[in-house]
Amino acid sequence: MDSQLQSIVLDWIPSNSKVVDFGCGDGTLLKTLIKKKFVTGYGVENDPEKINDCIANGISVIQQDIDISIQNYKGMGFDVAVMASSIQCLRRPRNAMRNILQVANECVITLPNFGNWELRLGILNGKMPSSAQLPAKWYETKNLHLCTIADFEELCREESFTIKKKVYINRAGKSSWLASRFPNLFAAQAVYLIG
Amino acid sequence: MKTVSEKITFDSSLTLESGQVLSGFELMTETYGELNSDKTNAVLVCHAFSGNHHAAGIKDGDKKPGWWDEIIGDNKTIDTTKFYVVSLNNIGGCHGSSGPVSISSELGKPYGASFPEVSVSDWVKTQKMLADHLGINCWEMVAGGSLGGMQALQWAISYPEKVKKAAIIAASSKISAQNIALNEVAREIIRKDQNFHNGEYLAQGKLPTKGLKAARMLGHITYLSESNMRKRFGRKLQDPKNKVDAGINYEVENYLQYKGEQFAKSFDANSYILMTKAMDSFDPAKDFDNDLVRCLQGIQAKLLIASFDSDWLFPKEYGLDIQMSAIKAGIDSSYVELNGDYGHDSFLFYSDQYASALKNFLNSNG
Repeated sequence: MDSQLQSIVLDWIPSNSKVVDFGCGDGTLLKTLIKKKFVTGYGVENDPEKINDCIANGISVIQQDIDISIQNYKGMGFDVAVMASSIQCLRRPRNAMRNILQVANECVITLPNFGNWELRLGILNGKMPSSAQLPAKWYETKNLHLCTIADFEELCREESFTIKKKVYINRAGKSSWLASRFPNLFAAQAVYLIG
Repeated sequence: MKTVSEKITFDSSLTLESGQVLSGFELMTETYGELNSDKTNAVLVCHAFSGNHHAAGIKDGDKKPGWWDEIIGDNKTIDTTKFYVVSLNNIGGCHGSSGPVSISSELGKPYGASFPEVSVSDWVKTQKMLADHLGINCWEMVAGGSLGGMQALQWAISYPEKVKKAAIIAASSKISAQNIALNEVAREIIRKDQNFHNGEYLAQGKLPTKGLKAARMLGHITYLSESNMRKRFGRKLQDPKNKVDAGINYEVENYLQYKGEQFAKSFDANSYILMTKAMDSFDPAKDFDNDLVRCLQGIQAKLLIASFDSDWLFPKEYGLDIQMSAIKAGIDSSYVELNGDYGHDSFLFYSDQYASALKNFLNSNG
């Protein structure tokens, strides 16, 4: 996770809260949250190697498929649920979004913006696009349901998810005037606090 | 690997969960590796239902190594060049610790069926006394599979400040009606052996080996997976030269007959009943109004809960149930679902995924 993105997430998550990170990877974000915000944190991950990294890092991790298991995390007393660059890897992202808002009072979602100009150029060239945020080739990408910022915010409106805060980040990992003014074209990533 | 076998006598009386009292007891122990000067590198391994203190290495005259030899040893998953591993035979067992075959000082003969009922928390209590005897204030890890995993969980509940990590493998916080049913069939088979004599067979100079053998054959099927049996035996016919019995047709029959026979030679029928009863009654949440979340709340150890995909005796839902309660309780706990070919017995065997999870857990800090 870019340092700017991480500092935004850190800023939004209250100290001493109980956090679940869906798609926690090697547990780096949770480790930082535990160290700096004293959270009680759990990760959900399905990749055995990343799970091993979590265990080696001393991070509590649950080996599960998010699509299947997310509803089981309701009523567990989570204050915040995080889904960082994971939503596009799910088979049923809308279902996951509906559930995640019942898992915790607030959710932090980050997503790569498929509408970014660099990716649009790729499509114009007649090739599946790639970027620093989306480096994998079409045949090996884990992304199943890529969306643009406009798509995601449309889903939030349709489903009446309240976006409490949002920040758009450019390709350099910084917030900029262009990315804020024309996010769907210039933002490479977006981060949302949804309640 | 430095290995020390020792029988340790405890003179103080032990009040069991049932209320019955043992005036004293013995524990047969085996240790591997060396305790460091701070006594901070100790790992307790707890055996499953039919296991014993001999967890690693090959003893003189034995063909097979200890039950967790694939995991414990120099430079292995539980590395005995770094850790001091303590293993013991639990009371009620039949491999050197106080149990139905040991001589009761009051009776002047073996306890037989009169050996009191024991529970997982009784075992943990005796293991705590063993830790005190060895001068170990806090275990770096307590680990075990199946009934051994239940002991690891009980340790974390009973002595929160005495365990840093607990590895609860192929285990459960309580077993199901189906598990109890299978145990009861095994016990019934033993009780109905004409040599059983209500458990007083030693006094009669008899042994209910037929019942014990048949009970083990049933049990053995439940420890393996269907796919493992298919791969290993399929419908292969038994080579007539190695038939243990003329009526045998298939390899799988021969295998079960042989395994059952070997087991019946080395295990005690009353111990079989006691051990399975201890498994049936294990339910630490019962002291907390059947609320597992409250039961786990006091735990300070980090937990690693591992289930195997091919285990139908203790399926992954058992492990997940502990994990989800641990999350509700807000304690440190991880859950991994491992590939294992051997069904419930998978916890005994090395696999990369299993060994990495356990090794990373044992060596993690923070």
